[in-house]
Amino acid sequence: MTTLTRDAAPSSAPAKRARRWKPSEVRAGYAFLTPWLLGFFLLTAGPMIASLYLAFTDYNLFTDPQWVGFDNFTQLFQDPRFLQSAKVTAIYVLVGTPVKLVAALAVAMLLNMKHRGQGAYRSIFYAPSLIGASVSIAIVWKAMFIDDGIVDTVGQFFGMQAGGWVGNPDMTMPMMILLAVWQFGAPMVIFLAGLKQVPAELYEAASVDGAGPVRKFLRITLPMLSPVIFFNLLLETIAAFQVFSSAFIISGGSGGPAGSTLFYTLYLYIRGFNDFRMGYASAMAWVLVIVVGVITAIFFKTSKSWVHYSGDAR
Amino acid sequence: MKTRNKLTMALGVTTVFALALSGCSSSDDSGSGGDAAAVSTDEDITISLAWWGNDDRAAKYEQAVDLFEKAHPNITVQTQFQAWDDYWTARNTEAAGKALPDVMQMDLSYLRQYAATGQLGDLSAQEGVNLDVSGLDESLLESGAIDGKQYAIPTSTNTLALFYNADITDALGMEPPADGYTWDEFDQWFLDVAKAGASEDPAVYGGADYAVTFWFFLQWFMQSGEQPFTEDGQLNFTQDDMKEWLNSTADLRDAKAVYPVEKAKQLEPLTGFTTNEAAAEVSWDNFLAGYVADSGTENIEMLPIPAGDDGQQHLFYKPSMLLAPSSSSEHPDAAAALIDFLINDPEVGTIFGTSKGVPAVAAQRDAMDVEAGSIDEKVVAYEDSVADIVTESAPIPVQGFGAIEAEFKRLGEELQYGNITVDEFVEQWWANAEQNIPQS
Repeated sequence: MTTLTRDAAPSSAPAKRARRWKPSEVRAGYAFLTPWLLGFFLLTAGPMIASLYLAFTDYNLFTDPQWVGFDNFTQLFQDPRFLQSAKVTAIYVLVGTPVKLVAALAVAMLLNMKHRGQGAYRSIFYAPSLIGASVSIAIVWKAMFIDDGIVDTVGQFFGMQAGGWVGNPDMTMPMMILLAVWQFGAPMVIFLAGLKQVPAELYEAASVDGAGPVRKFLRITLPMLSPVIFFNLLLETIAAFQVFSSAFIISGGSGGPAGSTLFYTLYLYIRGFNDFRMGYASAMAWVLVIVVGVITAIFFKTSKSWVHYSGDAR
Repeated sequence: MKTRNKLTMALGVTTVFALALSGCSSSDDSGSGGDAAAVSTDEDITISLAWWGNDDRAAKYEQAVDLFEKAHPNITVQTQFQAWDDYWTARNTEAAGKALPDVMQMDLSYLRQYAATGQLGDLSAQEGVNLDVSGLDESLLESGAIDGKQYAIPTSTNTLALFYNADITDALGMEPPADGYTWDEFDQWFLDVAKAGASEDPAVYGGADYAVTFWFFLQWFMQSGEQPFTEDGQLNFTQDDMKEWLNSTADLRDAKAVYPVEKAKQLEPLTGFTTNEAAAEVSWDNFLAGYVADSGTENIEMLPIPAGDDGQQHLFYKPSMLLAPSSSSEHPDAAAALIDFLINDPEVGTIFGTSKGVPAVAAQRDAMDVEAGSIDEKVVAYEDSVADIVTESAPIPVQGFGAIEAEFKRLGEELQYGNITVDEFVEQWWANAEQNIPQS
């Protein structure tokens, strides 16, 4: 964490020496931070350290943890259900996140047009994100996709005989991805803010040069938006790795049918709270932290080649 | 725009670490048992009671608790309940924090695990002081005891039964399975119903694939005259036994004569039987009230399960809805008094009827309002009618039973979807069982 003392480095502020904070100001600063610090250390950092220890133990909640070294981690990669959960989650992240971002960007561009009542549309399109993560929506979603639910009924009208998606292992993943895509509101709002920052004169100049809408999108909108795309991609990828509640509710906590909604965090929960293998569950949690950390690092490494910050000399 | 880059970085890093991970610490086991004194009549005592079940059971428990509080004005009982899965999640978390309710409903599946880890109090010293167990059958009482310590008291018994919907069999012009029918005849009956019901809309089936229910496998195995678990808490059946059982319904699965798993998954917690799309279901006899309520027909009849090779059913009474005290209870005397009241009081028997099974204590059985034609009467009549063919004592589940039962159910789903073969089922189940059953 950064401290509140602001030492002026000669290189960054050559002209004027920044003043030091008064001790009373520092105290006040920390006092205001206390609630966050307490929450961070007691509810996040503390349990994380405890789980790091538990990851190397066999712990069933009832008896004291037994140190087992790397056993949990070696078992993980021989566990067919762990591999299944990793596969399900990977598909969800790789397919769901791009589709969601494309949808969010498309809607943001529509909402960026000059049109009467745009404010109302923006609110309406954002609404699913406010309620989408709730328990009730997962239940409604399930009701829509069962036998003779609205999706099945409409599908039959067009000659599809898929039956309910909920009971069909091949169709549950599309269903889960649709639920995620439908909650495009948060990235959409950020895209919208990004679109508003693109200087209009760039488009005007491009028009004068005879560029069409596709070329303008590819050559102006996307590069100017790339920092926002990067930000959304990062957040949505991390969030997608953690999907839990919708899968828990739609599958009744089992990850079914036939393991098709056995998301990583759901299997972690099953191992911890159904099978009482807390050590194993902690090991899974740490593998997830490491995987997400590595992916985040890769994003940052590669971002230099495709994220364009206006003001950068390139 | 360097600041924005930093902000993005900071947000990303924070989000990574915001993956909240939880861990709990445990404390030493505390002892149980000790001396018992008659429960105080003047000291203000508050104890807690937890059970699994639905709203209907909750209303019944609340009535029973009101009666108890009237009999013991100085004792207040705080109640809570959850559905089965959530119930065990909540109890396990409480057990880790030594905060279990003073009295909890307990199932055979979890009894050993809870007792072995010192979560449950010993009621032996309470017998004759605050707890009267004289109304219980000796072998039934024994089911709540491990190594001479009485950890739980069963409140009722269940037996397996075949339920069939007479409205459906009549509509299809089918007869129910005949007396003394065998497993093969039962399978043939499934094929016949599926054939007759194929033209209905929606199609009607004989029932769900019964082979994927762990208790039915155990019951079938017991028809060979042996207990499924050894006395030292290990498996007494072989991989070949399990393969034989699972293969016995392979023809039904191949012929698509069982209720489709795709549909069943969407109905949970209902089943094809309770939505009147399946003619029969094997289950515990206390399910009748639920079946009648969900299916909307009173014409649900009960038969014994199929007979084994020797023509016998080898049924057993499964002790159910046990009540157990917590070892960390501050008021073991009051806890014992509450258990005593719930198992013995005739009025409590009237309140619950057969909704938890047939009451274990005769005084409660006799107090039930068994009206002619009522659900309670059917259940009692069924248990009376099978009394002669209940020849086995209930299996004592191994430690880890809850987990291996859940694994059986999960693999059963994979099997029905055709994702695994019977051999793979058995192989995976065995690997799981070796992890979950402590070696002796």
